[in-house]
Amino acid sequence: MATPAADVSAGAESLLPLVERPARYVDGEWGARHRPEASYRTALLYPDTYELGMANQALAILYDRLNAIDGVAAERVFVPWKDMAAEMRASSTPLFTLESMQPVRDCALVGVTLPYELTYTNVLEALDLAGIPLRSADRAEADPLVVGGGPCAFDPEPMAPFFDAILVGEGEEAVVEIVAAHRAAIEARANREETLRRLAGVPGVYVPSLYAEAPDGGMRPLGGGPAVVEKRVLRDLGAFRPPTCPVVPFMDVVHDRATIEILRGCARGCRFCQAGMVYRPVRERRADDIVRDSLAALACGGYEEVSLTSLSSSDHSLIEDVVRRLSRRLEGTDVTVSLPSLRVDAFGLTLARLLKGKRPGLTLAPEAGTQRLRDVINKNVTGEDLLGAVRAAFEAGWRRVKLYFMIGLPTETDEDVAGIGRLVGEVLAAAREATPADQRGSVRVGVSVSTFVPKAHTPFQWDAQLTLPEVLRRQKILRDAMPRKGVELSWHDASASFLEGALARGDRKVADVIERTWRSGAVFDAWTEEFSLDRWLAAFEEEGVDPVVLAGPRDAKAPLPWSHISSGVSPAFLKLERERAERAVATPDCTFEECTGCGVCPSLGVENAIAGGSRG
Amino acid sequence: MAEGFRLRVRYGKTGRLRHLSHLEVIRACERSVRRAGLPYSVTQGFSPKIKAAFGPALPVGTAGEREYYDVWLTSYVPARTVLERLAGASPAGLAPQAVSYAGGREPSLSAALTVARYRVLVASPATWPEEFGKVLAGVVGSGTLAVEHKGKTKVFDLARSLPEEPRVGSEDGFLVVEITTRIGQEGSLRPEALVHEALSSSPKPGSLIAVTRTDLLVEAGKEWLRPME
Ligand code: SF4
Repeated sequence: MATPAADVSAGAESLLPLVERPARYVDGEWGARHRPEASYRTALLYPDTYELGMANQALAILYDRLNAIDGVAAERVFVPWKDMAAEMRASSTPLFTLESMQPVRDCALVGVTLPYELTYTNVLEALDLAGIPLRSADRAEADPLVVGGGPCAFDPEPMAPFFDAILVGEGEEAVVEIVAAHRAAIEARANREETLRRLAGVPGVYVPSLYAEAPDGGMRPLGGGPAVVEKRVLRDLGAFRPPTCPVVPFMDVVHDRATIEILRGCARGCRFCQAGMVYRPVRERRADDIVRDSLAALACGGYEEVSLTSLSSSDHSLIEDVVRRLSRRLEGTDVTVSLPSLRVDAFGLTLARLLKGKRPGLTLAPEAGTQRLRDVINKNVTGEDLLGAVRAAFEAGWRRVKLYFMIGLPTETDEDVAGIGRLVGEVLAAAREATPADQRGSVRVGVSVSTFVPKAHTPFQWDAQLTLPEVLRRQKILRDAMPRKGVELSWHDASASFLEGALARGDRKVADVIERTWRSGAVFDAWTEEFSLDRWLAAFEEEGVDPVVLAGPRDAKAPLPWSHISSGVSPAFLKLERERAERAVATPDCTFEECTGCGVCPSLGVENAIAGGSRG
Repeated sequence: MAEGFRLRVRYGKTGRLRHLSHLEVIRACERSVRRAGLPYSVTQGFSPKIKAAFGPALPVGTAGEREYYDVWLTSYVPARTVLERLAGASPAGLAPQAVSYAGGREPSLSAALTVARYRVLVASPATWPEEFGKVLAGVVGSGTLAVEHKGKTKVFDLARSLPEEPRVGSEDGFLVVEITTRIGQEGSLRPEALVHEALSSSPKPGSLIAVTRTDLLVEAGKEWLRPME
């Protein structure tokens, strides 16, 4: 394992003049870690291009954590763009890590983050370029361990055969344990099978080869792994400092700025939202720590902006205090503080005024067009709240807001769809009214409409996704109901959402479809111009798997393909929430009011941590 | 002292970082200045920016041995201290080499630097510097060179673009072509264009390996000077 192999760096380097955006492959950034002395080498793969992957926080955290271990090196790998991949294949250059420009296949472990379903073919592309057998079952003793993790680990089956192990939940502690277990196995000269059994003993680690499909639709343990794999979660987020000396890219990447995660988890309880269910409980970082780490990251990175990130940053109980303190410290410099998005409400406006630099965009996510449907999804906001906030924003000088909606939510009727258009019309009218007459021409309302995709581990995990023709029919209703002037309407690609739905609740058979689709040329499916639904449909057909069934309703009494994976939220709570949805009954946020019994805290021995003592 | 202290930095763009674009280099250098904790000036206005000005752009793929930028400081820091701090805050491939203060009234680097020297490395199965020198001289003697760029053709007057005759030598089995060009407002002749043209009309094959800008110079009467020592 990890024997130094043929040097590929000269060959790899000679390809750089031949490809577009060579900065994707050059390494040498400030903050990149070079640890040639390490005996245990890992490659951290983000399954998309450099400019997307470098924005990924999980990757930055694990890079930091692993490189802090004695004798361990973690190096970055991204999926080469098509031009580079073609040059690599033509010159027999295997996929290499950026830092040492050495083959990925010579690493002891390849860690792969799975951020969203449309990156699945990219994982296969990367493994293939690396010369690593795609399937765990086909790997030999000398091949690296391929370990997955990230959001898609909560429904791992579609990708399970390609992984030796998959970590469910948060990685800060678990990656250290995985590496320790693997090093001990190497030390003990354990073979691959034995190594995987040892890995299955690390809490949160799912080893797919120790499970098989059961006739009832669930997964059956074959021995060696727990019946249910419980997610890993940090009890005390504050005990883990976010990376304050991150790698600073040369390229203009997505989110090119210092990033400090200020809280994890969200308990608002939107019933469609997977992140809101699987990252519980809510853990806020302390204000002092956030200020300290933000300033440290700016000093070490030299960035012109620090972003305070989370699923919902303005929910942090001390956010106003934090933003005030940071703004004061950065007064008179060219460095700014930002929040990923600001909600349009009174508090959002207060925060927006504190942020210097360009006026931040205001966003609003009513998600549904009628009060009834907003109650169904537990989006606890009324039309009056929205309009009041919009008025306040435009009175305060904003000329643009962005609204997010979904179509295809459970119980949606044509009336709900048309309601989106009506609500946008009201927002527009309120915005115009609050704007001086001579500036009304510049009022814009951005409207982004996506298709609802039911996700595993949410109350809507048993619900059906709209069929494609039905999506198109509802899109037409929406278009007809939507005011034209002053509205910038954008749609999420309906066919990509359809595929996302089939993959998001897929079972192990879907792996064959993914592999077949990749073999037929699919890669970079998340890039609209590269995506072809037909290629996927052909593969589904040839493998005899029906995507419409996968995206269809599920039997609430039968096990699901992800029932052996637990986020800590109990299935009983999800069922109860589904019933409440049916009755359009709200469930409050447990960080504002009392516990609503989702089960995470008692089952994982954790609790909400609110920095300011209380919220609201 | 509204202008502040004008500091000139000489740096290299070397190794794999030659594949960076000019904008990427600018951003990286500005970030080094921030990391170094230097008291840099910012521009006026609602969203202030670091006050810095760079020498002529290097294209993606071309290395630079002596590149320059100016950055303005609000307070005086000894040049040696600046160099130390910058060196400790820069990626290795963009390391600063020297720092000195420049006069506030001097013309900008982009206006002052009008001559560039390049070294172009060519791999060829045979070394034939003299022969290739003749081919190159023939191209130069023809007076003009038409270069296609993004679908447009630009014709360079070689007498103007090349203030010196190119020289050809050899080193480690490569041909080494030294070319001096004039940097013009209306676009500058890229040295590889000249070498490509010579290769296409030469009897022996060859391929371009690397292009490095070795010097940037200021024309002062008949003399060419470096913008700092
Ligand atoms: S167990 Fe209760 S307090 Fe904990 S996250 Fe769930 S609802 Fe909130």
